[in-house]
Amino acid sequence: MIIGIKDGMKLVGISIMACCAVFVCTLFMNYNMDLVSIEEQMTSPQMMIMYDALVSMGKVVSGVSGGCLLITSGIMLVFYIKNYIDTHKKELGILKALGYSNFKIAKNFWVFAISVLIGTGLGFGGAWLIMSKFYEEQNADKMLPEFEAAFHLELVIGLMLIPTIAFGVLAILYACVQLKQPTIDLLKEKRQYGKSRIKGNGKKSQRTKRAVGADREEKDVPFLKEMQKATIRSRKSLLFFVVFGAFCFSSMMQMSAGMNEIASEMMAMMIFIIGAVLACVTLVLAVTTVVKGNTKSVSMMRVFGYTFEDCKKAVLDGYRPWAYLGFVIGSGYQYGLIKMVVEIVFKDIENVPDYEFDVQIFMIVLIVFVILYEAMMFWYSNRMKKISVKEVMME
Amino acid sequence: MIQVKDITKSFGSKENSFQVLKGISLDIKDNDYIVLLGASGSGKSTLLNIISGLEKADSGSIMYDGTDIDKLSETELTKFRKDNVGFIFQQYYLLPNLDVEKNVKMGADLAGNKNYCEMIKAVGLGEKLHKYPHELSGGEQQRVSVARALAKKPKILFLDEPTGALDEATGRQVLDYISKLQEQYHFAVVMVTHNNNIAEMAKTVIKMNSGKIVETYTNEAPKTAYEIGW
Ligand SMILES: Nc1ncnc2c1ncn2[C@@H]1O[C@H](COP(=O)(O)OP(=O)(O)OP(=O)(O)O)[C@@H](O)[C@H]1O
Ligand SMILES: [Mg+2]
Repeated sequence: MIIGIKDGMKLVGISIMACCAVFVCTLFMNYNMDLVSIEEQMTSPQMMIMYDALVSMGKVVSGVSGGCLLITSGIMLVFYIKNYIDTHKKELGILKALGYSNFKIAKNFWVFAISVLIGTGLGFGGAWLIMSKFYEEQNADKMLPEFEAAFHLELVIGLMLIPTIAFGVLAILYACVQLKQPTIDLLKEKRQYGKSRIKGNGKKSQRTKRAVGADREEKDVPFLKEMQKATIRSRKSLLFFVVFGAFCFSSMMQMSAGMNEIASEMMAMMIFIIGAVLACVTLVLAVTTVVKGNTKSVSMMRVFGYTFEDCKKAVLDGYRPWAYLGFVIGSGYQYGLIKMVVEIVFKDIENVPDYEFDVQIFMIVLIVFVILYEAMMFWYSNRMKKISVKEVMME
Repeated sequence: MIQVKDITKSFGSKENSFQVLKGISLDIKDNDYIVLLGASGSGKSTLLNIISGLEKADSGSIMYDGTDIDKLSETELTKFRKDNVGFIFQQYYLLPNLDVEKNVKMGADLAGNKNYCEMIKAVGLGEKLHKYPHELSGGEQQRVSVARALAKKPKILFLDEPTGALDEATGRQVLDYISKLQEQYHFAVVMVTHNNNIAEMAKTVIKMNSGKIVETYTNEAPKTAYEIGW
């Protein structure tokens, strides 16, 4: 089959996300479950307050990080599959032409769930490695009775098996939907250009009405500008991924930096590291996908004698404003999310400081983002420069 | 215009390297029409890629109006291609997300050519300006790539099996457009093919076999695309 186990393992991004999500959730949920089981041992009011605070914190942290990461990895999976189908249209078209049914082909997409299994497995194992340390840390000032971590099978099922199966099913279903397009379109590697053409047709009839003058106007737009527009328009999924990558970077970095207000120092540190890793992974993935997705066009332009700088401008620079847009949306989103969760969980507890938008963190994260984004674009596009025209034509 | 001297080229690592070109020399004059003939694997495409500056030779020189393009830096080579060379490939390689007009514009902009629509009309696609590549037949796509290559007003046009994916009628049509446009714009043509009949259209025919030139001859009276056999 054309989709091998190897393809499934390539989704390192999803593995890392799943790993982080499960790591954090296992720690906090395991702790919460054990804590709840000793509720009757809370004798004094102070203990009860401590108890409530710890339970709430566990809920916030596993809710925010688990939920956020789950959605993120779901979106990422869908994007991967779409991208996979987009870049393997010919092979898939041949299979369909040979008589394979959509479902028969889509079935093979279950391998994409392997990355989830690997990730969740690593996360779960990793959590257990530091579990006892974590329990000590949670009860550092010895206000609660000591208790040992117990193993909960529900967590294995809920955090490893169910996500893996769910992602496998999601992969198959989504592949089914994507494969619905006619075989001939797959064979001809037709992308979404068809759609933009329908709009184009509408414009065309207007254009004839507006007569030749308008046509001449349009011709004066330099080719490189046209190329930039067309590149963005023709692969919306890539555009989406760039926005999404910037969105994740912005929200995760700021969210984890903001966590130190509600979580303990060690926790805040850990969450920040996880957030930073994830943020960088999504951003790297987004940038590499963009560069890879446009290699062919760039090579053809270079054969014709466009300089590499021209090609980069035409093909890659169009994504920049969108990346920054993603960053801004991400900032708003993380603020809203944390504020909401904090309000819901702590609604009965007094003295919880109002959660406010942190301009300082925003500025720092923005600067890091700009540097990282530009450096990565520069680095990857320089790698693209080294690909010979022949290699591209050999495909 | 171009003097190619003692080109050699090998592929692969030291132990199992394989010499594809074993000392090739040839001359291309202004307004020439050269056909490179040879069996599959004889090194035609490799030679074409080297002469056109897409690939580097191991040794030898390619003098283009006095400059050795094999010694140019990547930037200089890009400028060289921009100013002098047009390409047409067997697989067309149109940009899939741009319509016919904009694909041709890609070539035209390099030469500051504002009248590129003329070129699209010249290859008979004036009616299909706003069609996308996937909406065109193979022959039409190849004609777009002819227009694209010529819209940049090259001094020399390189073609690698331009009719390889086309049937007889469309193949003839494309070749005919190329000859007609050559008469009009006076560029040189270097075409790779394994169709012996097409060689009858050339002024100069160069036959290759396993990396060497085995025969060169000139046609006194080149035929047109509709006079040759297929
Ligand atoms: N990048 C490469 N690496 C290794 N070997 C190569 C490479 N490119 C070409 N070759 C080898 O060089 C030889 C000549 O290839 P070339 O493409 O020039 O042949 P050709 O005459 O154009 O054949 P065809 O008519 O089939 O296109 C072949 O044996 C091929 O295997
Ligand atoms: Mg060849």
